[in-house]
Amino acid sequence: MESKTGKVKNLSRRSFLKFFGGASLAGVSLNLAGCGQPITAEKAVGGNGWMPTQYNEPGSWPTNVRGRVPIDPANPSIIRDDQKCILCGQCIEVCEKIQSVFGNYELPIKSEIVCVNCGQCIQWCPSGAISERDDINKVLKAIADPNITVVVQTAPATRIGLGEEFGMPIGTNVQGKQVAALRKLGFDVIFDTNFTADLTIMEEGTELVKRVKGELHHPTPQFTSCCPGWVKFVEYFYPDLIPNLSTAKSPQQMEGTLMKTYYAEKQNVDPKKIFSVAIMPCTAKKFECQRPEMTSARKELNDSNVTPDVDVVLTTKELARMIKRAGIDFTSLPDDEYDQLMGTGTGAGAIFGTTGGVMEAAARSAYYLITGQQPPASLWELTPVRGMEGVKEAAVNIPGFGSVKVAVISGLANARKVMDQIRAGNAPWVFIEVMACPGGCQYGGGQPRASSPPSDEVRNRRAASLYKIDTNAKLRNSHDNPQIKQVYADFLTAPMSEKAEELLHTHYISRAEALVAKKSERNLY
Amino acid sequence: MTNGVLVDIPKCVGCDSCSVACKLWNELEWDPQEKSKTATDRAKEPNNGLWPEEWTSINRYDLQKDGSSVWRYVKTQCFHCEDPACASSCFSKAFQKLPEGPVIYDQSLCVGCRYCMMACPFDILRYEWKKAIPGVRKCQMCATRVANDMEPACTSVCPTGAIIFGDREQLLAEAKKRIKENGYVDRVFGEREAGGTSWLYISDTPFEQMRFRTDVTTMPLPSYTEGYMKATPFVGVGWAAILAGLYIFNNKGKEPLD
Repeated sequence: MESKTGKVKNLSRRSFLKFFGGASLAGVSLNLAGCGQPITAEKAVGGNGWMPTQYNEPGSWPTNVRGRVPIDPANPSIIRDDQKCILCGQCIEVCEKIQSVFGNYELPIKSEIVCVNCGQCIQWCPSGAISERDDINKVLKAIADPNITVVVQTAPATRIGLGEEFGMPIGTNVQGKQVAALRKLGFDVIFDTNFTADLTIMEEGTELVKRVKGELHHPTPQFTSCCPGWVKFVEYFYPDLIPNLSTAKSPQQMEGTLMKTYYAEKQNVDPKKIFSVAIMPCTAKKFECQRPEMTSARKELNDSNVTPDVDVVLTTKELARMIKRAGIDFTSLPDDEYDQLMGTGTGAGAIFGTTGGVMEAAARSAYYLITGQQPPASLWELTPVRGMEGVKEAAVNIPGFGSVKVAVISGLANARKVMDQIRAGNAPWVFIEVMACPGGCQYGGGQPRASSPPSDEVRNRRAASLYKIDTNAKLRNSHDNPQIKQVYADFLTAPMSEKAEELLHTHYISRAEALVAKKSERNLY
Repeated sequence: MTNGVLVDIPKCVGCDSCSVACKLWNELEWDPQEKSKTATDRAKEPNNGLWPEEWTSINRYDLQKDGSSVWRYVKTQCFHCEDPACASSCFSKAFQKLPEGPVIYDQSLCVGCRYCMMACPFDILRYEWKKAIPGVRKCQMCATRVANDMEPACTSVCPTGAIIFGDREQLLAEAKKRIKENGYVDRVFGEREAGGTSWLYISDTPFEQMRFRTDVTTMPLPSYTEGYMKATPFVGVGWAAILAGLYIFNNKGKEPLD
């Protein structure tokens, strides 16, 4: 210590000044040498990331595809994980070009993000950023409650899609395995939406006949109303054509209503304790079940404790996730049967799952409703309405009635063209089937994603599987379904009876206030 | 020529493409808590939705217009002042206004004093409190893109043309044209605010209702201090000369110390 302190040199005033003088001179010379130059763009923080090439053009040239669709965080059907979004622009492409929703309203927006909930953006999103809103936990909670009877229905198209999630070939019919899986998951009662598809045909077909005969003060052409995306599209963009929509509810909502009324009455179950689940290929169904009109059971029973007709909608993909989470080996499940009362559907009900199917089913039963005779075999294979074309036309000959012109549309941009034609008073058709998603429900927003981008090849294979179900069915006409006959005999009396009107029909609201529809054909903004 | 961006608030549909583009291009981190916030939540946040890893935020305001409720989405980020207060307050010259428009920040020069944050009239800058070697974060207007004749990431992805990049003078003329054509509020926010900013906003709803700082001065902020701060070197050198003179005068004829 002492030796060290002894070595401390006293800093003289002179050496202190020398040191600082030297340091200042060094600083000034460094500055002059360029070290203090203004910073350049490259020195700025950030800017080391990545953007899709379409955005890395010089200047501000127009870009073919830009950005992404707006999705309201409160959207009941669709959610997006921003972290996964790469701004590829595919959602905008499908929403604007295929579905003609985005870009078809004027800016500024009002107080709603216009969305028909179809979920096609989910199918097109390459990074999995967009997906259906996951409602699995609501269902698990209901299943876990021993006081609640969980009744489930499965749409026509889920049985030909679900297998793909488990590595089975595209379009494999897994109807029996699906029922077995649902039973293993703990659902108490399993019904088939094909049953209410048949019921829809009875109601919608009767309505059509009445419209054509002028017994109803509703205009023709009549539009189908099974597709909630399509219905919302009409409510947004063609409110003047709402009277053309069939008042018949969709099969999902009919089944839900009957679960809480017909089934509850027959099986003596408290409707308040029924939890109604629907397995659907569709994200718009999640919106549909939340519509305030869809509480017929509550109104009918005059009991405010009865929940909506359909409590929760799960997509095919969500069901697959549930099965996987439960560790069920789906592919090795033995086939199981639907529960009866509302578990039998005809071939006509099955083909609801593809574009043209509702029309074909309706043609068979309309023939019967008008003539009182069974339809000819030609109506069991109405080829003009089959296939993946966006707009298809056919003429159905009904004796004593003449030729009935019908049209089948899938994809809302195609629907827009036809609707504009109808508005112009230039429509030869009597009945028009519209499905929002190209190809119909089998390629809905809730269906499994094929390994390839959305393509007609996949659509055709799934449709072929549905047509095969129809071909192999014992009963191919909705009006022949014994359970349909039973529900009318025991509960509803007749198609469009007062009770049927109350339970199976609905009304629509204009959503024109929510937007300013784009008038001209002007492209983009 | 200096560049700018015109934000046409009524044209925004709230798709958030711009903020995702910002995240992608600047490699900004995602935070699970921040991610769950909606545009409505962010509009109510004290930080306006901006944090060190979020340089731009889309905030939704539910307003009344002509008796009906409307949603307006406002993009917030650095305004890139023509004469930035952050740069003038920074004694280590970590901030710089580029001739192309962007006000950029070089962390290697930053000492972390945060004078810039005090100086910013729009409360845009955010400090990386959680980092061991923190810096200040804000929109850089994609300086390298702009310097290489590309538009910023955010404007490049906007699907509705609500944000457009271009020459500031031309954008200003376009803004005034749109105000007239669409019956917007007769004000281009950013034309004169804080002495003028590169980002310009036009709207059909009052700026006051969308958390714009409408009472901000139209003087360039550095001009408040420029007059006397300019004298600093002269005062310093002058004082030194006077003191040195006094020293020499007092010690004339004396033996040096030591």
